[in-house]
Amino acid sequence: MTTWPPLLVAVVVVPILGAVLTPVVGQWRARRAADWALGTMLLTSVVALLLVARVADGGPFSYVAGGWEVPYGIELRFDEFSAVTAIICLLGVLAIVFSRRYAEHALPEVRIPYYYALLLLNLAGMLGFSITGDLFNLFVFMEILSLSGYALVAVSGEKIAEMAAFKYLVMGAVSSIAVLFAIGMLYALTGSLNMADVASRLGGAPVAPVAVAFGMMALGFMVKAAIFPLHIWLPDAHAIAPSPVSAILSGLVVKVGIVGMLRLYQIAYTSRALDLEALNTVLMWLGALSIVMGAFFAVFQDDVKMMLAYSTISNIGYIVMGLGLASSAGVIGASVHVFNHAIIKATLFLGAGALIFRTGKRTLTDLAGVGHAMPWTVAAISVGAISIVGIPPTAGFLCKWYIALGAVEAGHPFFAFALVFGALFIFIYYIRMVNAFYFRPPRDPAILEVREAPASMLVPILVLATLCLVMGVLGRIPLSFIEPAVTRLLAPIGGG
Amino acid sequence: MTTDATGSILPLFAFLIPIVAAVCTVPLQRISARVRDYSLLACGAAVAVLAVWLAAGVAEGGVYETFILQLTPDIWMYLRVDAAGALFGATVAVLWVLALVYSWGYMAEGHRLGRYYSFFMLCLGWTMGVAYSGNLLTFLIFYELFSILTYPLVVHEQTPEAMAAGTKYIIYILIGGSLVLLAIVLTFFAAGQQTLTDGGILSAEIGHGRLFAIFWCFIAGLGVKAAIVPLHGWVPDAHPAAPAPFSAVLSGVMVAAGSFGIIRVVFQVFGVEILREMGVAVMVTWLAGITVLFAAVLAVNQDNLKRRLAYSTISQMAYVVLGVSLLGPEGTIGALVHITNHAFMKGALFLCAGLFIRRLGVHRVSQLDGAARRMPVTAAAFALAALGMIGTPPLSGFVSKWYLGLGMLETEHPLLLVVLLGGALMAAIYLLPIVYRMYFREPVLTSDDRITAEGREAPASMLVPLVVISVLTAALGLAASLHGMPVWLARIAVEGFFR
Repeated sequence: MTTWPPLLVAVVVVPILGAVLTPVVGQWRARRAADWALGTMLLTSVVALLLVARVADGGPFSYVAGGWEVPYGIELRFDEFSAVTAIICLLGVLAIVFSRRYAEHALPEVRIPYYYALLLLNLAGMLGFSITGDLFNLFVFMEILSLSGYALVAVSGEKIAEMAAFKYLVMGAVSSIAVLFAIGMLYALTGSLNMADVASRLGGAPVAPVAVAFGMMALGFMVKAAIFPLHIWLPDAHAIAPSPVSAILSGLVVKVGIVGMLRLYQIAYTSRALDLEALNTVLMWLGALSIVMGAFFAVFQDDVKMMLAYSTISNIGYIVMGLGLASSAGVIGASVHVFNHAIIKATLFLGAGALIFRTGKRTLTDLAGVGHAMPWTVAAISVGAISIVGIPPTAGFLCKWYIALGAVEAGHPFFAFALVFGALFIFIYYIRMVNAFYFRPPRDPAILEVREAPASMLVPILVLATLCLVMGVLGRIPLSFIEPAVTRLLAPIGGG
Repeated sequence: MTTDATGSILPLFAFLIPIVAAVCTVPLQRISARVRDYSLLACGAAVAVLAVWLAAGVAEGGVYETFILQLTPDIWMYLRVDAAGALFGATVAVLWVLALVYSWGYMAEGHRLGRYYSFFMLCLGWTMGVAYSGNLLTFLIFYELFSILTYPLVVHEQTPEAMAAGTKYIIYILIGGSLVLLAIVLTFFAAGQQTLTDGGILSAEIGHGRLFAIFWCFIAGLGVKAAIVPLHGWVPDAHPAAPAPFSAVLSGVMVAAGSFGIIRVVFQVFGVEILREMGVAVMVTWLAGITVLFAAVLAVNQDNLKRRLAYSTISQMAYVVLGVSLLGPEGTIGALVHITNHAFMKGALFLCAGLFIRRLGVHRVSQLDGAARRMPVTAAAFALAALGMIGTPPLSGFVSKWYLGLGMLETEHPLLLVVLLGGALMAAIYLLPIVYRMYFREPVLTSDDRITAEGREAPASMLVPLVVISVLTAALGLAASLHGMPVWLARIAVEGFFR
């Protein structure tokens, strides 16, 4: 028992320390920075896995920093939703491995150590965000990951990257202000920042300020999650960032908004200060709109990464719809898709990154025929594509199935319909992609001469593609893992 | 779970073997084309033997089941070989092996053979999975993925026409697949995870509105694949675009997978009683009847041979749906048997069409004049299959139509006989002129010398499957009443459905 709490601290402190030291380590040789970052992340992964094993075994647990009792001290709390740390670490390790060759190719050498430092900081921010039990702490970690995120988008130093980063920054600042404002209001109402404590004190609070606080917080997290119509920052930022960063941003950073929403729901449902019917209805509709609009915009993209970025908006739509349905199956589907979408989208972005690395081209038109030159990479991308549109038995199917089931369960069969046909729409542009890679004649025959991606890129891609299948076939493991958390979450409102 | 089923690992191999074969195709090809061909044949033959063996076991009254794995806390992947599944599975496997052997000759000069054979085997495995699915989730898993694995085969030629046909195919099929998914979600919500059981798993208590929604989602979704008018649009485009051996299985068993799904839904999800009470089957009967005649009329006008055959498939597969929608035992026997019989007859016709393309360079009906002189065996096979398709006794097509006719009388729909006979008549109108041209017209010598000089009978590797398939067409008719034949299996299935 006593050995666990320090681990809970370590999972945040190790990557932060690693990040701070990366520029020092990499001062003489850039490759050192890569090794150092990888080592840091591997260590963090071990810690995260121990924590996940523990939560699977005995349920949520927490640690109070410095021995100060709750609600005065800062509480770190690890529950089933915090298991997203395992995915963060996995993608972090793979992105760092992938970056080894990619960064050398895409960035000036002097920046490489800083690139790894930012990446580690970003991952540390997300790890902290997902394990904290304190509202202000939540905000701090959100800022850490957002600021490092802006910098990572701009890291290549191109003009367009700076533009994208600036757009991201403006929207991100709006989101931060909204969340901070909401946290301030909750503090004013309850005199506490500890989530559990806030939830227990919020019961008798007047409705109007609570509604404003929850509304602002939801707004802030929705911007982070890039739900339509708050998505405008996402496509540029995700498409223009270096590919390993895109994988992290699209796979994980947008999920911060979702994890934040889950925390908000934990407070709101437990306190029962407010009937969330209105918010849930809004989320369902926004989710449905996101699915359709994301797919709609994606159909018109020729740039592979742009297409993938829009596809993220659709997938966030699934998740948000599942949350809004507030039925057991819907929330389970949404929570599991947080994990699965991270894996799938990382497969696709890293795959696209490998194509760009080898060919130097990034539009479907130019990449036509590349499937014959880089069979493994493109096969992995195809697996990712099949998975993301939810063809059984891949990882994406589970979420589609559960959220559709959740829609029927909640008495909104229309949303099941919207979900299933939104997925169809999504398939259309993935078909275009697969067509271009395999079946269209190459525009430039030279593309048939490019070599397969180097091992340091191919291995992460193949690992992820395998996971796309494994997470679907062995879906019962994540599903039964997350189920108790969802049951607990929905118990106060009579769901579950 | 029914108690009479024997646990058996064999059904699992029916789709594992083809998957392993598919994965090994490209490495084997590195060694040599011959090694690849024979290895794949061995795998295909193993599956066929397995499927026939299972069918023989089921004919003795057995039922086999396999639990594959637990997909989610409440969803099992579960295979169950009952009479209907065993019959369809055996049909699939046998036709597939014949088409595989035929591919050697047909695809000899083709491109990207590794991809072709690999997906050809994958599709076999997945179609076997469709046949042996024991619950709706398993059915969905196989059904959706196999629709998509088919895509690389449809667009295999990579010509602009093939790409356009492929796009049309995938959009139709995915819309259908989505409707099926929706229907299965609704069913799962209403009835939970249940083994497909004779007599149905839904209960009338969930309300008529829901039952209607589920039924029409299923029919519309599976109807896309079964090519019920107006959902048939992909069929006439996809068939001419695909390589001939694949057209044969596409027409023979892939379209039938939709009809097979409808059989499962009607008898094992809803059950006869609920459907009779709902009164929706009559509407399906009408749709199917219209499809039979409409597609047959369109077929007459097609000059492209494979396109004409594709329309014929639409027309013939509607017989299956028609027979099922009568909700009578004899009609259902007719429907089940017609899936098998049609698979071999249409397979034979497409293999012939492929030979005309490869050996004579002929795609159109109007160019077939005098073909019988150059390719006597092929022409004879074509004539035999055409006669079977029309329903001439004692060929196999007659058997299924006989039962369909009995079913119509039994359920007191004598007027439907007009549809049955009208469809047969139209089949004569669109198929017999081809036979006439081949045998009784003088060949028109074109400036293309290749046709006269090289146009001759096909190589043995392509003729053997064709001859085998023709023999099957005849044998399934002549031996229809014997123990263990399709009619026998269908009767076992139907006894369960109408218990």
